[in-house]
Amino acid sequence: MIDEALVVESGISAGDPWLTVEAGAIRDALTGLKHDGYRLMCFMTCVDHLADSSKEWPARFELVYQLRNLESREEIRVRTFVDGETPRIDSVQDIFPPANWDEREVYDMFGVVFNDHPDLSRILMPDDWVGHPLRRDYPVGGDPVEFSAEHETWQTAPEKA
Amino acid sequence: MSTTGSSVSTTTQGVTITKSGESGAFGGELLTVNFGPHHPSTHGVLRLIVDLDGEQIRRIKPVIGYLHTGIEKQMEALRWQQGVVVTDRHDYLSPPINNLAYALAVERLMGVEATPRAQVLRVIMSELTRLSSHLVWLGTSGIELGAMSMLMYCFRERETILNMNEEISGYRMHTSYIRPGGVMADATPRWLEMVDQFVRDMPGHIDEYESLLTMNPIFRSRTMEIGRLSADDAKVLGATGPMLRGSGVAWDLRKSMPYSGYENYDFEVATSDRCDCYGRYLVRIKEMREAVKIIGQALDKLPDGPVNIDDRKMLPPPREELETSMEAVIHHFKLFTEGYSVPAGDVYVAVESGRGENGCYVVSDGTHKPRRVKFRSASFVNLQALERMALNHMIADMVAIIGTADTVLGDVDR
Amino acid sequence: MGQNVLTTTLGKLIGWGRGNSVWPAQFGLACCAIEMIHTATASVDIARFGSEAMRASPRQADLMIVSGRVSQKMAPILRTIYDQMPEPKWVISMGACASTGGVFNNYALLQGVDKIVPVDVYVPGCPPRPEDLLNALMILQERIKAQGFSPRQ
Repeated sequence: MIDEALVVESGISAGDPWLTVEAGAIRDALTGLKHDGYRLMCFMTCVDHLADSSKEWPARFELVYQLRNLESREEIRVRTFVDGETPRIDSVQDIFPPANWDEREVYDMFGVVFNDHPDLSRILMPDDWVGHPLRRDYPVGGDPVEFSAEHETWQTAPEKA
Repeated sequence: MSTTGSSVSTTTQGVTITKSGESGAFGGELLTVNFGPHHPSTHGVLRLIVDLDGEQIRRIKPVIGYLHTGIEKQMEALRWQQGVVVTDRHDYLSPPINNLAYALAVERLMGVEATPRAQVLRVIMSELTRLSSHLVWLGTSGIELGAMSMLMYCFRERETILNMNEEISGYRMHTSYIRPGGVMADATPRWLEMVDQFVRDMPGHIDEYESLLTMNPIFRSRTMEIGRLSADDAKVLGATGPMLRGSGVAWDLRKSMPYSGYENYDFEVATSDRCDCYGRYLVRIKEMREAVKIIGQALDKLPDGPVNIDDRKMLPPPREELETSMEAVIHHFKLFTEGYSVPAGDVYVAVESGRGENGCYVVSDGTHKPRRVKFRSASFVNLQALERMALNHMIADMVAIIGTADTVLGDVDR
Repeated sequence: MGQNVLTTTLGKLIGWGRGNSVWPAQFGLACCAIEMIHTATASVDIARFGSEAMRASPRQADLMIVSGRVSQKMAPILRTIYDQMPEPKWVISMGACASTGGVFNNYALLQGVDKIVPVDVYVPGCPPRPEDLLNALMILQERIKAQGFSPRQ
């Protein structure tokens, strides 16, 4: 039964139905939806809303779970918001096994800790990496590109070319 | 060494390995073998830490991240139209299909739909890409199981497909052909001739590949009953694509949740009830045949008309207009300096690539750069099924099993 | 003496031998690796340049063709493989990502493989055509033949 009591907000975005639940209720919400037939988890990820002025966000990190019902071909997106220097939320990898590596990736890239995850370790970055790259306050990195617009010396001066 | 029951952890080169200290069937310890990341048969930089009891596999731990490119972070630093170039490169065997997922997502957020001609061209490019991706799979799987000539034959056909890519977009591999708003350029008459000739020649080539492998006793004994993944396991583990269809589940996004006009084509969904590596091989061969059928139908259906939508706020005006219209100059300037802004919201679009469900989840905060672009990668999820498929097989079967999963590490690591 | 004897210097002979039988170590990382496979297949045949034997073990190879993007996690492994190759050895950096970081100017990639190994020939392109890789191999062969007897500096 879709957990009416747990739904904080719902809506449709570009044709995709979504609903928001409290972070503590995520396991109940996903279990309820799985009983309703939404048995495939397409993906789960996190969005960092630091300095995002498009709307009033309840918290900085938004966790997104996309579920699909293979019989009725419907999809639903479940959102929840967590905050803090080390945000924490319950792991759902026993309800939906594909979430196992997705949660490791969210931990690696955003620093969200999943309670009761069997092996919460970095998956994409080296194990001794410091920092969580996909957070908005982590710099893109790389080398600065040297443009030659400010060069004073030419290899062959234009008038001699 | 008597480490039964205790664990030993070491961190080398940034990866931590914990040895379990368990014992094997004859009282000896389990042997931990490192398979990769530099290995000829892992289809890219995949590292597998395999616990062996004699020759039998007891546990596999895949370690990924050796090709992590920061694509999702890179997309946040690029404008919407610049991002198309980067989307080519995560699943590098099917660039137009990646472009399609991103383009459909951005178009949904902008509230526009591509023109009919563009939709048919998108379908043709997607199916050509599906063929070229399956050809790479067939060639490399063949050579790993000992059939060296498969590589030569498959890549010969792939050269034809890459020549067609080059004709229509200028690039062999990373075409960046499908963009939000339409496609990069219209089909040239020479391209239409090349595709027509290809549709006539390809079924004969697929017959050639089948004559080499399908009844070949060595191929059959190396792939039959190897890598079993039951339908329930596949569904629970979230596998998609030939991994799911090879276990008998007829789920193909092109039929079940069609996009870009796929509902107008007549084709079958390839499934096999065998649940093993041989079944997946049969599924992919059938998919190749169906792809040729779809391209033939699409060529007949190709309508006339423009390939790009007529929205100056999203796509630049034709260059001739810049000489006469001030408004065209302003649009051109705005598009190439700041780029267009996409209304705030989020959307998820999934398309069927050669490996399964490749999707693009786009979050926009209303500015000219995305807030978050997440790629749902078929290979990332399919790789989690590897352990279930390989348990209690011999280490020599590992090659066939990794081959059948058809993972592209660029997609896994992004 | 007739036409059956040929005279040359020892250096030129060794340079000719080394240059015409350069065995690449398989180091296909990403998209460029697929173009490298095309270079080895029938239409653009690298075997006619003596490089058909793409060895899986670095200990039997002379040339490392770094084809693809090198991430932070892969960099120490690349250096280990390079160290395992016996002298004389050469490196071709194939593609934009291996040469300079390519499209990806970010935290995750090494901005150019020449930060950890010395490179002999850079091949631009994303990915370069198979003929570009052959061109790079031919340039490398000229250099090897010119070096002759003396080891690479």
